[in-house]
Amino acid sequence: MTVVSAFLVPGSPLPYLRQDNAPWQPLAAGYEKVRDALQASKPDALLIYSTQWFAVLDQLWQARPHLTGEHVDENWYEYGDLTIDLRSDTDLVGACIAGCADIGIRAKGVDYDHFPVDTGTIVANNFVNPGGKIPLVIAANNLYHGPGETEKLAAMAVEQADKQGKRLAVLAIGGLSAAYFDEDIDIADDRIRHDADDAANRQLLDALANGDRRSASEALGRFNEGTKADMGMKHLSWLFGATGDFKGAQVHAYGPTYGAGAAVVEFNL
Amino acid sequence: MSQGKIVGGFVAPHPPHLVYGENPPQNEARSEGGWEPLRWAYERARKSLEEMKPDVLLVHSPHWQTLVGHHFLGVPHLEGKSVDPIFSNLFRYKFSLDVDVELAEACCREAAAMGLTTKMMRNPKFRVDYGTITTLHMIRPQWDIPIVGISANNSPYYLSVDEGVEQMDTLGVATRKAIEKSGKRAVLLASNTFSHWHFHEEPDVPEDMSREHPQSYEGYKWDMKMIELMRQGNLKEVMRLFPEWVEEAFAEVKSGAFPWMLSAMGYPEIPAELHGYGTVIGTGNAVMEWNLEKAAARDAAVA
Repeated sequence: MTVVSAFLVPGSPLPYLRQDNAPWQPLAAGYEKVRDALQASKPDALLIYSTQWFAVLDQLWQARPHLTGEHVDENWYEYGDLTIDLRSDTDLVGACIAGCADIGIRAKGVDYDHFPVDTGTIVANNFVNPGGKIPLVIAANNLYHGPGETEKLAAMAVEQADKQGKRLAVLAIGGLSAAYFDEDIDIADDRIRHDADDAANRQLLDALANGDRRSASEALGRFNEGTKADMGMKHLSWLFGATGDFKGAQVHAYGPTYGAGAAVVEFNL
Repeated sequence: MSQGKIVGGFVAPHPPHLVYGENPPQNEARSEGGWEPLRWAYERARKSLEEMKPDVLLVHSPHWQTLVGHHFLGVPHLEGKSVDPIFSNLFRYKFSLDVDVELAEACCREAAAMGLTTKMMRNPKFRVDYGTITTLHMIRPQWDIPIVGISANNSPYYLSVDEGVEQMDTLGVATRKAIEKSGKRAVLLASNTFSHWHFHEEPDVPEDMSREHPQSYEGYKWDMKMIELMRQGNLKEVMRLFPEWVEEAFAEVKSGAFPWMLSAMGYPEIPAELHGYGTVIGTGNAVMEWNLEKAAARDAAVA
């Protein structure tokens, strides 16, 4: 089996930078469970898709062997800095770039120091892969790709890993409902901004916990129709494309990130 | 102290391709040129700016997008290497800039007093966005004038275009008040493209100008219509058509810089000068100038 574990995790830096804030503690604790489960699955590489790394021309893949430095989020800079320590599986990244041609998508790698890695990727890596020991395969979110192309890209990446005999863990990094508080709030009172979003988030998580890919895809369609969702939930499309199918999931945590919905979910493969 | 004033404003788009085409020493990537008409437009704008002798440049950029309110750079000196996340093959630029923190704080205070959510960015490790850097390089490559950097609040996208414009109008008035109280001569820079329809694949040689043209004829027609209105000084009509322009040309002016600048200048009914127009990966880019001081001198001479 190529994909040995798969997770949905939030990309907001708030639960990482302020783990002492009560509304965000469950998400940080959920991330710790993911770290343990991921390490136990003994992956050779992490296949990462974050809604926060935008591309508009071609499909981009992170090809820098080792990225280090410090990152300051453009919104939440007052809560502190994020340490970057990412290593890429450059062989697999190269295969993914080449493999894109086979599915009709132009692609290229980015291999530059000081590349502005997105907050979501840094936060997830720091939570579950401290020290960057497990190499990464990071794909950008091309804003013009729909769910279908996103699934195809993920499936292609898994196929390439399979050819190299590698075990993959999949990280889908992004939120749920995207409506946030657009004014200052007391972060100790953070909550899901709209009750309807809260209900929709819970329905989707229930569908993931108790369903399979088919039923979850149907639930996702309903979620996207009725909710302003994070990037149309393309990160879940990525996970579905990579895993092919799953048999339910464990919701380790659910909560707000400044009004938006976020969850930590481990899928049963 | 004499009253400060806005001496002029520029639409100053930020495609990093323009820096790449110019090959300045600060940028790591090297090119064979490209996008010359737009770069020459900026050369003319640079001369005008030089004559304006501003004490400060205020730039509003769509690539510092903030969710909660309008933010202002609040660190006296910022430097580093800016790599464009989308065009990292073209733009890897070593920047070093000085911020007029006093004026930034004044703008922040005035905007808050007028009911906007505002914040000062005080983290010295903050990475300035490439839109701000590209606009500033293209208009003043010497980097010898302090700046005020203003974020693009997400309200036009999160709420509606009308609500977004309303906030930018307020931000513009607040900016003007702060400048007037400062005693400084200020130039405003609206860092945005017009029509934003673009190609989705990059040529093997990015500066191959045989591949460059408007991606959308509709977008091009919208840009020409709006530029002509600006050249006539008919900003009332520009703002009446603004939501349609945004919708049909996918215009980046939606992000707020353009209405912020016009509001700050008081929607001057003077002819804008078009320094040049050109496309970058199919998007429409105009370098345009409103010279308020020159217009006032002309009016005074006529009177």
